Amino acid sequence: MGSPPIEPEELLERIRKEHRSLRWSPLAPDPAGTGGTGDQVRSPESLEYLHHNWMLPDHFEPSGRPGVRGKVSARLGTFVYAVLGPYLRAERDLLAHMVRVNDALEKRCDELTNRLEELRHQVADRQAAEARNQAELAVWLHQALPETDGHVDNGSSPTG
Amino acid sequence: MTTGGAARDRPRVAVLAPQWGRSTERGSITRQVAGALACSTEVHVLTTEGNAARTVRDGVFTVHRLGTAVDDRAELRRDLVLTAVAASIPAGSRPGGHELDDLLDRQLVEPWAPAAAALDEIHPDLVVLADHRNVGGLAALERHDPGLPAVLLALAGDDISLAFPHFDPVVERAAHVLTVTETERLSVADGFDRQATVHRIGAPLAANASAYSEPNTWVGDTHYVLVLTDQDSEDDHPQNELARLIRLRFSDRPVGISHSDAFIAWHEGRRNSGWPIERSSDLARLLAFAAVTVDLRRPELYGRSVVESLLYGTPVVVPENSRAREHAQRGRGGLWFADPAELLWCVESLLDDATNRTVRTQGRAYAEAEYGSTDRFIERVTAACGLDVEAIPEVVRVGATA
Repeated sequence: MGSPPIEPEELLERIRKEHRSLRWSPLAPDPAGTGGTGDQVRSPESLEYLHHNWMLPDHFEPSGRPGVRGKVSARLGTFVYAVLGPYLRAERDLLAHMVRVNDALEKRCDELTNRLEELRHQVADRQAAEARNQAELAVWLHQALPETDGHVDNGSSPTG
Repeated sequence: MTTGGAARDRPRVAVLAPQWGRSTERGSITRQVAGALACSTEVHVLTTEGNAARTVRDGVFTVHRLGTAVDDRAELRRDLVLTAVAASIPAGSRPGGHELDDLLDRQLVEPWAPAAAALDEIHPDLVVLADHRNVGGLAALERHDPGLPAVLLALAGDDISLAFPHFDPVVERAAHVLTVTETERLSVADGFDRQATVHRIGAPLAANASAYSEPNTWVGDTHYVLVLTDQDSEDDHPQNELARLIRLRFSDRPVGISHSDAFIAWHEGRRNSGWPIERSSDLARLLAFAAVTVDLRRPELYGRSVVESLLYGTPVVVPENSRAREHAQRGRGGLWFADPAELLWCVESLLDDATNRTVRTQGRAYAEAEYGSTDRFIERVTAACGLDVEAIPEVVRVGATA
């Protein structure tokens, strides 16, 4: 046997002594605010770009160049816009809605983040209150119960 | 020593056994003692069990069933009377008078009446009375031959009945008294002031190596805490309250609780229910892989499961007033508790790796030395009965079990 022998009576007496003084203590509340600094979650550059560029042109702007080439270009552009106009307007409306939805989502995310932070603080406060309450109960129990070392001698134990 | 009949090669022993063939601790140890004696003697067993008088062969034994079975309710009534009277008198004192004699003997002595005639036929050289409360067996012995040598297998599971003078004649009649544990030996030796003639014989038990081959499917080999109860899982009983306390306190590791109607494995608040542990091989598998065994039951005689747990190298925790405490205390194989808080502290302490290793080694060494050898058991029984140990043939020696 490598380790020294253990006498059960001595071990039991040691256990009783260790537990004679109250070792219980309330659990410390979890640290609040980890991972939540209150910052809004957003990407400002991308959102700004979306706001400035969502509106596509809905008609053709001639370049104003003189000559045959300018005239052909103006007529061709006007023709193309006349043909594709309904599609381009529909796409502009779609982009407008997407930008608005993005704005709404960003706002909702910020609200939820704030709510989460608020809840974390509420839980931490409740934990602290519960811990205080438990500690008061422990002190009351410690004072209310008669002191005992838990040892009962039944006088019939073997001695061999 | 032979008192009748033709000259014999081997002495003839009659065992007067209230219980024969039962799987209880009292029934098992009675059969084991008779088996030990059968190595060097011719053993006749007389029992009141059975519905008709007949003689049968049962292995190496000749069993004389008297066919006068004792009503279980009569034993229950006797035990209730003993418990009630013991609770009404100061601790350590003995109830006087003989007012209770009729009540204690009712329906328990008459069934032994035919035993005297059976003994006349057997002509034993020695009588072994099983159970120190066997007043009926003693009466039959006295009617047969008041001078015949007698040995008592005490089967004193607690100190209550030993305190009653009503049973004193049974103990006093015996030239030698056999006890299983040291606690039982001290109870009889101190109570009757006869140190030299009260012998501790232990019991022959062995760890079955096959138990290590396959862990229980619900708890595996996870170093779980094993709790043994003899209550139904839904019963409102202190054993179940203590078991609940253990599984709540040690919820971070598996806790297996054996109830009489189910085996329930708990881990991190989740519950898995299995069939009740009824076969000894299933219990052996559980004992072999547990980190700690908590036996909350009241052992009938000496706590067989506790000794088996130690044989498998698993430390034990038992109630302070349990007869199995001896194995934790004298065998240094575990701890004992006086209240629920101590129960948790004891389990917590024995789950510590270093403590567990040391106590495990100590407990196993004790169990193997005192309970692990059939040869030594046979020799102890033979010597305690005043028989010749040299007469035990070599062929029955099976060697110490590891």
